[in-house]
Amino acid sequence: MTSSASKRLFKEYKSLSSDPPEGITAGPLSEDDMFLWEALIQGPEGTPFEGGVFPAELKFPKDYPLAPPTMRFLVDMWHPNVYPNGTVCISILHAPGDDPLHYEKASERWSPIQSVEKILISVMSMLAEPNDESPANVDAARMWREKRAEYERIVRDNVRKSLGL
Amino acid sequence: MAEQTLNIPQILVFLLVAFLGYRWFVAKPSSTSTRSGSQNRAVRVNPVQVDQIEAMFPQLSRRDIAYDLHKNGGNVTATTEKVLAGGRLEPAPASFNPPMPRSVPASRTPPVKPAQPDLITRYNLSSKLSATAEASASEPQKKPKAWSQDRNERQANFQRRREEMILAARRKMEEKERAKTTGTLA
Repeated sequence: MTSSASKRLFKEYKSLSSDPPEGITAGPLSEDDMFLWEALIQGPEGTPFEGGVFPAELKFPKDYPLAPPTMRFLVDMWHPNVYPNGTVCISILHAPGDDPLHYEKASERWSPIQSVEKILISVMSMLAEPNDESPANVDAARMWREKRAEYERIVRDNVRKSLGL
Repeated sequence: MAEQTLNIPQILVFLLVAFLGYRWFVAKPSSTSTRSGSQNRAVRVNPVQVDQIEAMFPQLSRRDIAYDLHKNGGNVTATTEKVLAGGRLEPAPASFNPPMPRSVPASRTPPVKPAQPDLITRYNLSSKLSATAEASASEPQKKPKAWSQDRNERQANFQRRREEMILAARRKMEEKERAKTTGTLA
């Protein structure tokens, strides 16, 4: 099981490195442990996240790709779908079985035909378009809904700070 | 002539007496003030006690509370009862200036969550910031082989791609800020 999981992760690493999607860099921190990855995601253009680079860690379960990885941002993220501790909450990271709120379509959720690349692209579009239905950060969600200008200011401030400016 | 020569020691004696007299007058009040100063120092007012009483009677001034505690030797109960009986405390004299740090400001401000280190610190890129700015400007980016058969090379490539991504973002942001500041100046 473990070897098939790491084989699959290695294959994904190879394809992500040879043909990386725009604005995404991802791979294992060390090839000794294929189950802990680090990804860098560029902030999508035309959003307050533009210009930023957001590092995140991906932790894969031993039965990957049957179960999805977890993803946690390693910088301060002010976003309705990111928990204050950085953990990302989107449907593609949820296994079909565990959907307590039954709002996610099965096709959006994790399945072995998904991939790290698809996760990262989903997260990138999540940055541009938050999902208001199931906020992980209620305060950020409320601010996004009601005080968009303030939300964007916080996001921009975080981007500047994360780049050391 | 003889009168004048006799006058010089007289003047000296007069000056000496005047000086000693002056010393005596000046020294007297200063010695008493140092004594009262040492008293002040001896009875320290505990800021925690001042806080306790202030919490019960927010209408009182901290100085008056501290003065009363200073007088009764830090007896919170006595001060409390005095306030309950009389409704107020004797105002502290102007000369009473105890060091009164607030003991609680830390607990009043919400605990600040330690911010995540920025990317430059996280990836240890501060040394490369200035260096790569010139290098990348002069030479066109050479495309490294994305996938190598060698494991260490792969690791190094991955590391470098991450660093480049962060440095590129940082440079872009710096340029944007520079453009913005020159734009507002112009």
